[in-house]
Amino acid sequence: MPDSETRPNKQDQQQPAETHQDVRRAVLEAETRRHFLRTLSGGLGTLFMGTLAAKYAPPAFAAVPSSEAALDFTRDASNPLSVLPPQFAAKARRVIYLHMAGAPSQLELFEHKPELTRLDGQDCPASFLAGKRFAFINGVPKLLGSQYPFHQTGQSGQWISDRLPHLEKHIDDLCIIKSMRTDQFNHAPAQLLVHTGNARLGYASFGSWVLYGLGTENQNLPGFIVLLSGGKTPDGGKQLWGSGFLPSVYQGVQCRSHGEPVLYLENPPSVSRPLRRSMLDVIDEINKQTYAEFGNPETVTRIAQYELAFRMQMEATDAMDIRKEPESVRARYASKPGEASFANNCLVARRLAERGVRFIQLYHWGWDSHGSAASEALNIGFVKRCSEVDQPIAALLDDLKQRGLLEDTLLVWGGEFGRTSMRENRGGQQMKFVGRDHNPGAFTLWLAGAGIKPGITHGETDDMGYEIVKDPVEVRDLHATMLYLLGFDHHKLNYRFQGLQQKLTSVKPARIVGEILA
Amino acid sequence: MTPSLDRLSQRNRFALLALTPILLLFILVIAFPPDGSERAQWAQFIGRFHPIAVHLPIAFILLVPVLELAGRNSRFVYLRPSADFVLGLATVSAILAASLGWCLARSGAYSGPLMTQHMWSGVWLATMCLLCWVLRGRLTGGEFVYSIALALTVGLMTWTGYRGGQLSQGEDHLTEFMPGALRKLLMMSAETRIVSPPSTATFYGARIHPIFEQHCFTCHSANKHKSNLRLDSYASLMRGGKHGMVIKPGNIQSSELFRRITLPATDDDYMPKENKKPLSAAEVKLIELWIAADASATLPLEAIKDAPSPTTAAAEVTFEKVDFAAVAKERAGLAPAVAQLQKRFPNLLDYESRASADLMFNASLLGEKFEDADLASLAPVADHIVIADFSRTAITDHSAAAIAAMKRLRSLRLVHTKITDATVHSLSRLDQLESLNIFGTRTTPAVLPIVAGLPKLRHLYAGETTIRADAPLPAALKDKVLF
Repeated sequence: MPDSETRPNKQDQQQPAETHQDVRRAVLEAETRRHFLRTLSGGLGTLFMGTLAAKYAPPAFAAVPSSEAALDFTRDASNPLSVLPPQFAAKARRVIYLHMAGAPSQLELFEHKPELTRLDGQDCPASFLAGKRFAFINGVPKLLGSQYPFHQTGQSGQWISDRLPHLEKHIDDLCIIKSMRTDQFNHAPAQLLVHTGNARLGYASFGSWVLYGLGTENQNLPGFIVLLSGGKTPDGGKQLWGSGFLPSVYQGVQCRSHGEPVLYLENPPSVSRPLRRSMLDVIDEINKQTYAEFGNPETVTRIAQYELAFRMQMEATDAMDIRKEPESVRARYASKPGEASFANNCLVARRLAERGVRFIQLYHWGWDSHGSAASEALNIGFVKRCSEVDQPIAALLDDLKQRGLLEDTLLVWGGEFGRTSMRENRGGQQMKFVGRDHNPGAFTLWLAGAGIKPGITHGETDDMGYEIVKDPVEVRDLHATMLYLLGFDHHKLNYRFQGLQQKLTSVKPARIVGEILA
Repeated sequence: MTPSLDRLSQRNRFALLALTPILLLFILVIAFPPDGSERAQWAQFIGRFHPIAVHLPIAFILLVPVLELAGRNSRFVYLRPSADFVLGLATVSAILAASLGWCLARSGAYSGPLMTQHMWSGVWLATMCLLCWVLRGRLTGGEFVYSIALALTVGLMTWTGYRGGQLSQGEDHLTEFMPGALRKLLMMSAETRIVSPPSTATFYGARIHPIFEQHCFTCHSANKHKSNLRLDSYASLMRGGKHGMVIKPGNIQSSELFRRITLPATDDDYMPKENKKPLSAAEVKLIELWIAADASATLPLEAIKDAPSPTTAAAEVTFEKVDFAAVAKERAGLAPAVAQLQKRFPNLLDYESRASADLMFNASLLGEKFEDADLASLAPVADHIVIADFSRTAITDHSAAAIAAMKRLRSLRLVHTKITDATVHSLSRLDQLESLNIFGTRTTPAVLPIVAGLPKLRHLYAGETTIRADAPLPAALKDKVLF
């Protein structure tokens, strides 16, 4: 995002501008009364035709088709995050999105495929490979059965492996979509697609759209908070919570998972809060003058960020401080204050949800189980990853449910794509560790909470868990469905940019997955 | 009777010459009737010129009586001889048009009773033209017979043209947009477009027609019939559109309609077009089974045993159309009070949606700063509040009456407040309440009977109260209390 509008440099243009003016004046002077009268009649006629044509033009010729007409999202410039009601009465008022960066293997967690297990170790059929692109698989790989035993559980009798013993207790709260599909098979673009609706850079993230559409109730905290769990930043980078073409005041605010949640929130020594206030007042005054002069929305963003930071000094520190939770609660989350962990973030997520934060985005990392190293092996690293998220997610579900928050909070868990039914054979050779390559053709994601039908499975893959055979759900379908739960027709939550009514679901038709709605 | 060729007048020679193609036409029409199946490209290519060519005989035939009648006037007497020539032209062009018509029909574009009638009247029209021409040559005393024949020819031409128009543009193409007043004058039914829904006892009426109604009517029914195809009645469905029949009874492969709905969605010919919702697999199967069973209108519903059940249709989400004027009107009364409260509680009070005048209020973010007196200030809008969150505020039982005044509450949160049983007792009149959250309050099991009496309640959040998870619950609260 540019900090200021690009403006033509006056000095450079001085010389040509003058000659230009001369020419213009000459042209104007050449105009006579007769010219004026002649063009006048034609001009009036054209104006008249214009009004007629606008009335009778087919919809396709109108500037903005009526079905895409934007809702009014204009706000007082001094308060760009103020609350706006949704288009329709919403089921969900906030979202907690748990993204497992790297793409967890659905075949080791939710996809029970006995046929694949039976064929474990056999050559992959050629039909699986024809026309497919893989990140690493070469030649003819071997089929790989699930590495962990599966069982049915809960009243809904859904299948789950033995890797998620805590989450399993909530199986009747989950709506598991086994037919998610993407068109990206590399991490960064696939993550961008999941979080911004587009595989390329420069698009607004889901949280930004939600913040833009609804604003946020708690003006003392960012409305869109991002928490990483240590480890590495997702491949998609900070664009995953960027605001793209939306004003940058709507972007996600990444908070640190240990130490101070937001750096430099505390006043430096010898600066008191009143002193800070009066300093900010002066800066605001200058910024307001700048805005009056240039009208750049980014100036408003700057003012809003200063103000937010000032208010956050009080509240953010408190909201992020999990030491304020009783020991028993922390134990349920397996959280250890002071370290950067997914468990701590889950507990923080609950505290933020209680404080009215609109969109809470948690990232966990290290799910890219290729089998190329121990940390990426299905039988080593993957096990660790599972245990890192299992108990905290279950505890988060417990708390949300117990406190009634699950009623209007939408919880989403998933990765950016799925993993292959074949064992990865990087370089065409059997690898030391067991792993799977990327499979954009099918992956599993679950939702829970506001407006979601609990205890169901939607969609189905073939006996190998390789391709979808029933009810495919595209990423844009998921987005359309989530926006529906948040009270929006995904066509109507739009923003005019580059001549297009930009929207999260982009230009391809998206379907609201009615089957998973309660 | 037959004179030898050299003695024939030029006139009779033409008559004989014209008779040959007419006879040929009769043979073609009788021996090779159009049966609706697709045929050679050439026939189709030539046949497509039929709609253009027909306008020639129409113009010529109409011109003949004009010339004849005008020629009676002494000023235009020179016109009469021309009538003969024009009549000859009419004959030739009628034969040409009829031949092209046969090509078009034979190539498989059309079939059905309408087409048969049009075809035969076209052939007879060509014959009549020739007859008129012959009669005109023997005018001696035969003038009366000639004028009758000419009148008949014009009449037949009108009929043929009308039928042809019906074929290409739909059966009501002339009267469809007739103004109501004129309709009344002509004593026609006020609305000709009414298509009575087919009987639901038949497979067509119960299973097939609803599919068309849901997916196809926007483009293929009374108001809009793209490609002249209408699917809103059995007759029009079987008649097909401008490219001919779309359903071939018993023949799935050559049924154009079935081909179109089973193409890949990216194909230009795919139906339904323009991102309209595609038919579900079950719906396609139903149409397939029906066509295979001879696409009958009368086949009873139970006749096809293995038809997929109608419940397999996917749940489609649609958006209600919002009447913003009505919403604004509804809001008008309370807008000043809302605006005032919004100033007092910025970002915490707002309408539930852009489509309603119901309000949501979230005091939980104010924490201890929000007290009984603040809650009392909501009184002017109390009966519009449907969702209220007072969690972690300083409110006490003093607010009980003010909360109870929010008669339309659907969701009420009192998490970690100082309220006691007294407040819950006062809520007994909230007959819209679906969710009550008293987590972390000092409420006791004594509130359970009150809560059990709330008719719409779905969830009671009673964790961290003195109500124990193993406490005996009233039957009405079974599975509704969360701890």
